[in-house]
Amino acid sequence: MDRETLEVDVLIVGGGPAGMSAALRLAQLQKAQGGEPLAIAVLEKAREAGAHMLSGAMLDPSALRELIPDFKEKGAPVASEVHHEHVYFLTKNSKVPFPITPPPLQNHGNYVISLNRFVKWMSGLVEAEGIDLFAGFPASEVLYDGDRVVGVRTRDQGIDKHGAKKSTFEAGVEIRAKVTILCDGVRGNLTKAVVRRLALDEGRQPQLYAIGLKELWEVPKDRIKAGTVVHTLGYPLKREEFGGGFLYAMPDGVVSVGFVTGLDYRDPMFDPHLTFQHFKQHPAIAAILQGGQMVRYGAKALPEGGWHTIPRVYADGLLIAGDAGGFVNSMRLKGIHLAMRTGMLAAETAYEAIRARDTSAARLWKYEERIDASEVRRELYPVRNVHQSFGYGLVPGLMYSGLSLVTGGWWLKDPMPAHAGFDRMAEIAEYYGEHKLDVDAPVRPVKVDRQLTFDKLTNVHHSGTRHTEDQPSHLIVYDTNICSTRCRVEYGNPCTRFCPANVYEMVDAGDGTKRLQINASNCVHCKTCDIMDPYQVIDWVPPEGGGGPQYDGM
Amino acid sequence: MKIAVCIKQVVTREWQLRVNEPKTWIRDQDASFELNEPDAYALEEALRQKEKHGGEVVVVSAGPARATQVLREALARGADRAIHVESDTLAAADALVIADALACAIREEKFDLVLTGLQSDDQGFGQVGVVLAEKLGMPSASIIMEVQASESGLRVKRELEAGWFQWISLPLPALLTIQSGINQLRYATLKGIMAAKKKEIRKVTASGSAAPAQKILRVYFPEKGKKTQMIPGSATEAAKALVQKLRDEARVIA
Repeated sequence: MDRETLEVDVLIVGGGPAGMSAALRLAQLQKAQGGEPLAIAVLEKAREAGAHMLSGAMLDPSALRELIPDFKEKGAPVASEVHHEHVYFLTKNSKVPFPITPPPLQNHGNYVISLNRFVKWMSGLVEAEGIDLFAGFPASEVLYDGDRVVGVRTRDQGIDKHGAKKSTFEAGVEIRAKVTILCDGVRGNLTKAVVRRLALDEGRQPQLYAIGLKELWEVPKDRIKAGTVVHTLGYPLKREEFGGGFLYAMPDGVVSVGFVTGLDYRDPMFDPHLTFQHFKQHPAIAAILQGGQMVRYGAKALPEGGWHTIPRVYADGLLIAGDAGGFVNSMRLKGIHLAMRTGMLAAETAYEAIRARDTSAARLWKYEERIDASEVRRELYPVRNVHQSFGYGLVPGLMYSGLSLVTGGWWLKDPMPAHAGFDRMAEIAEYYGEHKLDVDAPVRPVKVDRQLTFDKLTNVHHSGTRHTEDQPSHLIVYDTNICSTRCRVEYGNPCTRFCPANVYEMVDAGDGTKRLQINASNCVHCKTCDIMDPYQVIDWVPPEGGGGPQYDGM
Repeated sequence: MKIAVCIKQVVTREWQLRVNEPKTWIRDQDASFELNEPDAYALEEALRQKEKHGGEVVVVSAGPARATQVLREALARGADRAIHVESDTLAAADALVIADALACAIREEKFDLVLTGLQSDDQGFGQVGVVLAEKLGMPSASIIMEVQASESGLRVKRELEAGWFQWISLPLPALLTIQSGINQLRYATLKGIMAAKKKEIRKVTASGSAAPAQKILRVYFPEKGKKTQMIPGSATEAAKALVQKLRDEARVIA
């Protein structure tokens, strides 16, 4: 097939905080140092910049201050500085405040933001620099020359659900670049492929992920003061489960409420969406939301494994930044500033390498050196074993986390041993014993009232998700037989529970058995299925450009 | 053929609608916007006509500064240049005011063909096109499903009710309001987006003089109500009364 080609100097894949920061940094270096202007392009799968952005979101402004010192004058949407913070341990009906706010959760000087708005704002600055920002163009493949990364190919558009070309078919474009910076986010489809092909995770621990579900609410304006931040531990999670809830208040009664759970839970019947509903029903949370209106919903996985799980983030012609590389501080529950920082460091490395006409791994190794000398390491190294320690339960985890503040993260066995999250899931028989379990019914059901609690479909409707219907499923299950046979017996089809958007359903096959039905149009691009499926037979690939959620204000 | 396409920027269908404080319009801060769907088909039709007959495609939009988003998108898809009638009030103005503003902006250009979408996804008047034709002194035809252009004029297929169609002829210059589904929309391309950066978006101030003929009194959600009526009497009488109510009041049975 004849494909168009586009040649650039630096290609940034993914227009999130990492990608936008990389683009802006490149433009700054260009301005400061002059010379032949670099051709820079940013690819983004969402219909418009920011549409797929989902985070709590709490922003540590350290990287922003350095990248855009006059961010306030430039109208950065960072309206609410944190004023009041609370950390509670929840039991079923009450809350126990922590005597002090643990230092990693101290947020004075940070901002509660909407990452959607923030990234939209950044995209305006990027475009003002004359950088090509291509929204609505997912990258489907990494292009190689031997083991050298030479660019990416955008997804073919206009293929029908049977795989045939429609009359509007538009072949994907090969974008060739001297340096490709992958900022394709948590479990990015390209990063996943390139890490595998170039064995960039050799000697690293498996990444540990979590899934976060979030709703945006509008509550009466005098209900809660803007800048109030609440974090919770405990209920509704069991002690063996890692995670907690959050509630951040913004101006005008806008409240961000969400729940994060480690994707390394043992209970195969665990359902993150139901857990979120139980959390909202807790008196401490319900009291704030009561009488308000849920206006947006979304879900996204996050990399929480920390320092030891970060792959090698450079190769010939390649740099990896942001969530794609796993740059998140799971102790402080923050990653936006690290995404921005690694994006900036990647840009500086790429710029120098191109000017020196050497974009080999030997040169791009400087990126790692820069990371090691920066706040990224200073912040991540001391907490390198935190999520891993919660693998031993809530109490040991909390004890270790407290200890690490004093010891700088030292542990007898470093790195602390860890398994991939999906590996920890127990089989139904093992977890629930002999006892016959109906795997199609929730173990801890919720009465949905559509005021405070919602079913998945209502929530998905509020995520603004839209996909072209006539296209192949972008969730590829390599073996669907396993769903109705082994998985049903062994794990009770956990995909129907961990997917927060009702993409996976087991429906009657008509012969007394069940078969898997994939409602791909519901997908909010959280990547949980790709991560958590116990047989690792699900592959998330990008759907047609522009498809996915529309996270306005999230 | 020199073709103008009038396009509108509307709130995306996925936006969770909320009403603003004076309750006269929706709250659109934080909303994401997109090209009104029928207008996308009108643009595609214009591009196809240009491919067949040559000429120029000019997109025109009346709305606030943010409307440049849809103009840029149209340029990326292949329009040659754009005219932006910039005004904060036009997005929610009535059909007469919008049509007057558009007419003032394009009259001098002497277009051979003016296309609009059949209606907008927000206000849904379905009137801007035909009023604009009056203002420009052109014949018009609405709900168009096929366009055949020749030197002598246009032959167009109109959609009627119940699966019926009508073919009519009209001379040029003319205005057509285009029905969604008339064609298959093309995808934006990287090259198109890059090319669009070099194309002109001419900003003009709204110079129309038409006074609003309509005023929005109140915007509200359909009120959901549940009414329970007890029908007294014996079972036979009550059943009779129930059937009558179902037929005459609720109209759920014939």
